[in-house]
Amino acid sequence: MPAVIEFRNVRFTHGERAIFDDLNFRIEEREMIALVGPNGVGKTTLLKIVDGLLRPTSGVVLLQGRGLESWSRRELSCYAALVPQHLDVPFAFQVEEIVAQGRVPHLRRFAGPSARDFEVVESAMQAVDILGLRERAYSDLSGGERQRVKIAIGLAQQPKVMMLDEPTQHLDLGRQIELMGLLRTLNDSGITIIAAMHDLALVRENFSSVILLTPDAVSIAGPTAEVLRPDLLERAFLVDRSSLGRHVSAESLSYERGD
Amino acid sequence: MRRRFKTSSTLVTLAVSLLVAGVVSAGLGAVRVPFASVIRALLHPAEAGDAGIILFTLRLPRVIAAGLVGAGLSATGVLFQGLFRNPLADPFVLGASGGAALGGAVAVFLVPTMSIAGISATALLAFAGSLLTMAVVWSLARAGGKFAVENMLLAGFAIGTMLNAATSALELGKEASNPGIRVLTAWLHGEVGVPSWTQVLIITVVELSALVLAIPLARQLNTLALGEEYAEQLGVRVGQIRILVVVIGSVLTALAVSLGGLIGFVGLLVPHVLRIILGPDHFRLLPAAALSGAMFLIVADTIARTAFAPTEIPVGLLTAFIGGPAFLYLLNQKKRRSSP
Repeated sequence: MPAVIEFRNVRFTHGERAIFDDLNFRIEEREMIALVGPNGVGKTTLLKIVDGLLRPTSGVVLLQGRGLESWSRRELSCYAALVPQHLDVPFAFQVEEIVAQGRVPHLRRFAGPSARDFEVVESAMQAVDILGLRERAYSDLSGGERQRVKIAIGLAQQPKVMMLDEPTQHLDLGRQIELMGLLRTLNDSGITIIAAMHDLALVRENFSSVILLTPDAVSIAGPTAEVLRPDLLERAFLVDRSSLGRHVSAESLSYERGD
Repeated sequence: MRRRFKTSSTLVTLAVSLLVAGVVSAGLGAVRVPFASVIRALLHPAEAGDAGIILFTLRLPRVIAAGLVGAGLSATGVLFQGLFRNPLADPFVLGASGGAALGGAVAVFLVPTMSIAGISATALLAFAGSLLTMAVVWSLARAGGKFAVENMLLAGFAIGTMLNAATSALELGKEASNPGIRVLTAWLHGEVGVPSWTQVLIITVVELSALVLAIPLARQLNTLALGEEYAEQLGVRVGQIRILVVVIGSVLTALAVSLGGLIGFVGLLVPHVLRIILGPDHFRLLPAAALSGAMFLIVADTIARTAFAPTEIPVGLLTAFIGGPAFLYLLNQKKRRSSP
């Protein structure tokens, strides 16, 4: 069974600087993976590479065992949905009109949506519980509501993989917990989830695996408890181990001791 | 808030109102022709007599010209606003109208009678001027891969001013009796002229084709509202859409300018009012804007030529008086929304 996403020796440079040098990982179907690392380390870049918006400088990216360059834009948009960190919409577009844009990759060029498309939009809105917001203007929504609308756009794409760029940012604690519940539900329904995350406590509670990106362009991928180790976090975030305290779980400490 | 009006019934209502406005407008003027007589003349042109001469040589070509100008400018407003993701993007504000006027002015002075495949050199150079301006505004407004409203407006302002100055400079070398001067003065004021029936026919065909080609683009502008990168992610070919929108918008602007010169804010006012009624969906907005824009300018031009009779005021003055404050209002709203 080919991996949903596989990176082999992927290098990406921005000007002179190597964002990642030799990135290798496999993401299997139905995994729920957190992408962790300090700001500017390339989390968004990695997501955009998978989504075909950026090209790696060298190396191979395989989706479902097929080289990324052989995917058409449209195929890719139906396979992977990228939920961006920010979405601002001009004019008073209503939530339903915004979510319907997720159907665009499935439509024939210049054609309008069919009854089937409206059904998919409907169930996408239902899945994230925003049916009550359908006629509200997106620009009037709160941060938590916007996050749900963005995920609904992604669901309307009917993707195998959903990638989220810092989905819990700017959400209060209650909305963060709700969102994590939603992502787990989506994951249970068969969608592979990859999320760029900052809050390690949320990562530990909700994600089975982690890809840790470090400023020295090295990455570590593996089960959550194995990757979120004090020594590795120290290296990634360039902080002293003693100040990591509450971000390091008991299991990973014991893992380290047994190492 | 559920959208209050259905698209199809809105379009039918607008089309009927447009026809009524056209017929009423054709009857009004120094010599008043009653509504019923206008209808009769339209149905039996051969038996219309003196009223027929007034209607067919003066009034109807001008009414149709005003309609074409209004439709073109409003539709361009919708297209440019969708592309720039900004309600202030109007062909006049962005300088596209100014560019078209400069191109047209060059043709009026240098090759006034030349035409290529039935299309006058004036219209072609107006198109080139509008297209060039949009290309410049686009590249200036896009700082660091993102649009800044200020940049867009300032670029449009600077270019518009330069073009107006250059257009005026063209006048200097010529005597006041030069027919080009008269055309140019009318353009700078924004006066709708009385075109020949051949011109009416050609411009109607080109404009309708441009509008029909724009309709499929309107759906993609809805996706573009999510941002260029997001639209790209959803499979929209943003680069292609951008070129098509700018070309079609430039064609429509050039036609409007060749008929009526610099008539400002129509492309800002009409779409803004329609968005309140119909919502922001460009696919619904575009045909509605073409119809309402035509009606708006027919009414405005009728007021311009009858309100202060026997003096005619340029319709451009009228739209500036209504549109200027509307522009400032929108600018203020924009500012309030973007400030934290």
